[in-house]
Order: sequence, then C-alpha cells, then structure tokens
Amino acid sequence: MDKVGIARGLFYYYYGDIWKFFLDYLKVPYIVSPNTNKEIMMKGIKKSNDEMCLAFKTYLGHLCYLEDKCTYFLVPRIDNYGLDNQTCTNFIAAYDIVYNLFDKKVLNYNINLNKNETLKKGLVNIGMELGKSKKECLDAYKYALNKAREKKSREITINLNKLNSTKTKILLISHPYNIYDDLIGKDIIKYLEKNDVEVIFSDKFDEKITNKLGTSLAPELYFKYSKENVGAIMYAKDKIDGVIFLSAFPCGPDSLVNELVMRKIKIPYINIVLDDTASFTGTETRLESFIDMLRRVTND
Amino acid sequence: MKDGYLGVDIGSISTKGVIIDDKNNIIASSYIWTEGNPVKAVRQLINNLKKDLPSDYQIRGIGTTGSARKLIGLMLRANIVKNEITAHAVGTLTFYPNVRTILEIGGQDSKIILLRNGIITNYAMNTLCAAGTGSFLSSQAKRLGLDVNEFGKYALKSKNPVKIAARCTVFAESDLVHKAQVGYPKEDIIAGLCKSIVLNYLNNVGKGKKIESPIIFQGGVSKNEGVVKYFKEVLNEDIIVDPNSHLMGAIGIAVLARKNKVGHVYNLEMTNVKFDTKAIECHRCPNNCELLRIYRNNELVDSWGSKCGKY
Repeated sequence: MDKVGIARGLFYYYYGDIWKFFLDYLKVPYIVSPNTNKEIMMKGIKKSNDEMCLAFKTYLGHLCYLEDKCTYFLVPRIDNYGLDNQTCTNFIAAYDIVYNLFDKKVLNYNINLNKNETLKKGLVNIGMELGKSKKECLDAYKYALNKAREKKSREITINLNKLNSTKTKILLISHPYNIYDDLIGKDIIKYLEKNDVEVIFSDKFDEKITNKLGTSLAPELYFKYSKENVGAIMYAKDKIDGVIFLSAFPCGPDSLVNELVMRKIKIPYINIVLDDTASFTGTETRLESFIDMLRRVTND
Repeated sequence: MKDGYLGVDIGSISTKGVIIDDKNNIIASSYIWTEGNPVKAVRQLINNLKKDLPSDYQIRGIGTTGSARKLIGLMLRANIVKNEITAHAVGTLTFYPNVRTILEIGGQDSKIILLRNGIITNYAMNTLCAAGTGSFLSSQAKRLGLDVNEFGKYALKSKNPVKIAARCTVFAESDLVHKAQVGYPKEDIIAGLCKSIVLNYLNNVGKGKKIESPIIFQGGVSKNEGVVKYFKEVLNEDIIVDPNSHLMGAIGIAVLARKNKVGHVYNLEMTNVKFDTKAIECHRCPNNCELLRIYRNNELVDSWGSKCGKY
C-alpha cells in the first residue's frame, strides 16, 4: 500500500500533529523520519545549495532519508496567513525545490489565505488524492484539527506555567524547527536545563495573542512566525530574566527581526547563530556567561 | 605561610597565568604562547610561575578560564572553571570598580562587556565569524615578515593608513595582498589593518551597544598600540589599557578561585603527572560523535563530545 513520507523538519513542527492525526483517521500508512542525526544532516547539506539555511538543509536531509521508504512526500507550499502574515520564502519554495530535486511523487497543498486557499481545502484534496471520499476527508480534518488543538493547548499550558517558576527563566526565541531539532537546538536546551534554568519556548504561546502583541512592538513586521516570536517576548517580558535569540545561519527573517527587536527590548539578551560547523564549545561559553550575567555572579 | 591563588587563562593563541595574594596583589605572572598545545603550555606556565613564587606562599585555590578551561581545569583539579566573560569582568572590576565598558579582543574571540555599578548589564561576543581577532593579526604579521609584537609600532609611523575591507578577514587578506603587491609602504598597510580591526569590531560585536567611558581595552590585541590609537580616534574617547591588560582574565579567575576556595592546599608539582587526551570517533549511531577521552596517569578521568551522554 502507498505510504506517505513526512520529513521531520520545517513544516513538521507546525503541522506534524495535524498530518499524523489526519492520516491516522483515514487509515493511510505513513512514515516520519527519525530525529536529526549527523548522517541526515550531511545528506541534506550535500543535496542543497549553500545559500540555504541550516534548517532547510536538514529538511532536505530528512527527505533523502525517506526517499526509498515511501511512495509520496508530503510537502506543502505555505505562502501567507492573510495580509501581513507572510511566511519565510523557504516555506513558499519548498514544494518546488523538492519537486525538482527528487524523483518522487509529492503530495502538495497551498496555504494562501489571500487567495482563500486554506488548510481545510488542502488536506481534503490530499485525502481525495489518496483515494478517500470527500466526506471521509472532511471528518478526518475535523478530527485532526481538534486533536491537534487539544495537544497544542496542553503544551501551551505547560509552557505558561513555567513563567511562574522560581528558577532563572529564559525565553528561547527561535523557530520550532530549530528548537526541537536534535542537532540544532537540543544541546542548548539540555545545557540550560542542566544549569537549573527554566526554558520557555517562544512557539508555545497562544498565537492569536502573540501575533497581535508582535505587531504592537514592531508594526512594520510582516512575517507571521517572527511576529509571534516577538509577541512572546512582549507577553512574558515582566516574568522572564533573559531572552536567547537562536537562529540557524543564514536565516533571512531572523537576521532582520532579531536585530530590530534587540534594539527595542529592555531585557538582557544574547544572540546565538548556529551553523553545521559550529562546535558546541563556543556556544557553551556564550550560554554560561549569559547565565552568569543573569545571576549576577560578578556581584559580591 | 601566606596564601596565594592561581588563575590560568588558556586562550587559543596565548596562555596566561597569575598568582595573587589575599589582597589581589600579583605575586607572580607569566605569559606564553599556547602553540596549539594547551597541556604543554600550562606545564611551562606553571614552571615559570613556580620560579617567581616566594617560598613562603602556598596555593589555596586554582581557577581556569579561556577556551581550554575545561581540559586544564581537569588537569589542575581547579576549584573553579569559568567562562571568559565573567573572568574578565571580575578581573577588571578588581582594579577599576567604575568601569562601564570593557573592550576585549583575544585570539579567537572578541567581546564587549557593558557594566553599570559593577554589574554586567549587557555583553556581546562575536558570533560565527572570528573576523578581526588576534589570530588574524598574527597570521598577517607572519605574511609581512614581522613579529606581531612590533606591529603596533609600525602602525604608529603611518600617516596614511590604507583602506582595507573591514567586514571579513578573507576579503581583508586579499585586499592586503593586493595593496602590498601594488607597492604601498609596509607601515601604511599595517596601520590600515589595525584600523580595519577596530572598525570590524565596532560593526560586529559593538553594534548597537552604548559605549560609555571609562572604557578599558584588554586582551592580547590591546598590546598593539596601533589598534589602541584607532579605537581612540574612532570612538573619540579615552581608552585605558592597563599594564596588565593581557592578564585580566587570569586575574579575574584567580579572584574567583579565592572567593570559592575549598580549603585544601594545592601542590604545583602535580602538573608533572602524565596527562593525555585521545580522540576517537564513535560509530554506535549515525551521529558519529567525536569523543575526546582524557587520561590522568593512564586512568580515564573524563570523556567529552558525545551527543547521547553515554560516554
């Protein structure tokens, strides 16, 4: 039977849950690539153009892993969520890049709210492409949406509860595909937690609230995900001790937005840029000194 | 017996060590090149320090900082191992309690630390790129057939520093080669280089930071009069360079070692024990981590570098 391949990168961290619940409901078999490891990353780097960001290279590596293990790739094209809610160009380009790089059938849908192309339409079309009836697909969509929302709201509650912790609290501002990736963000989270820091994740907030807050700090922003990251700072600013900006080299939106935000906020921050060449030693020095600063170690 | 505290700052280019007393006076100090072998450099350093140490002193605390701090911390059984930012801030505050800005340019890293009322309020370090740091200067000195120590003096002679690309050292280097081949005088090229270091630093780590005086410049590059001159010129502020500016990190970590002393007396002869490192690549999973195993007297004492944490 046909198998859908889902790469654990980029979109997965936004839509992975809803895809999995959707396919589960339709009883379509699927495979998700494993956590990123060096081999996957190396394959991705080989496959990609050197101008691409580390996260996108990794994403391509995951597709390389899946290539001989599935019938289809699931790769959406996410353009915008309405006016002034653009996504990164990689999210728009991913489908076309994958289509041209791999000799593989690609299940694709568009999200472009300006043109009324929604997630619902997209998933229903995919379900029908996989031979299911429209009714089944609609039911599956509703089921998946509810399940995914429930899961997300649980995660948000856990994240928000951390704001009341008595430990040193650091808000990690990054895209989820960086934060939760084994080779990109995991070492950082591990290091912080080992040093008794409460790590709050920028993507686990109510996006409706953070989106608005982001606009209030910087009305000129038009990247949806960046706005939500910025909004998370605004939301948590009175409760956190510091902010870590973590981006993958060379991230376009982050290099603009983080720079802008750093000039506006009054909270201690540090900017960490990761590439595949960076050894963790340098990052560790930066994290350690940042924690020291927050805890005022130099002060007698 | 009087108490002394040893601070060792092992950077990528140079290794610095000081022994201070209870009042933060420097009793002995040493500054040598690391030359890619921190273990060997530290042995040499300790020997130098021992010669200078009056016999009525005993070592009651050891601290390590710098990029090889973990390794050397293990080797010396240090009671504190701390990052360079904290060490530099503590060291500088010991002598200049009012400092508001610390500029530091070392071999691989450059940093800026902002302090208000003796507390670090903000800092930045170079991110991925090591452009405009000491290692670049010393490699260019070699290219021009000079000792890096004379670099500053040459720069001061120049009246017309050449313009050298200030963004990336790779571009800076090709610029420099080009200018040398076209026939510019050496001192003008060197002065241009020093200026490009300053501009690069201010555009890179100093970007968006409010640099207020008193400003203290330290790290190995602060010994370069040319760079100091252009910092003064560009910032239009007075720049303080302490005679011990190259030792500030070591002093800071020695102060921290004193504050965190555990009580026992260290024997400096211990550096003569056999201390080896072995690098192996693990093939148990696709990550292929490079593991570094550390042996003291052939006994495995630590292992670093695994992602899974099994080793």
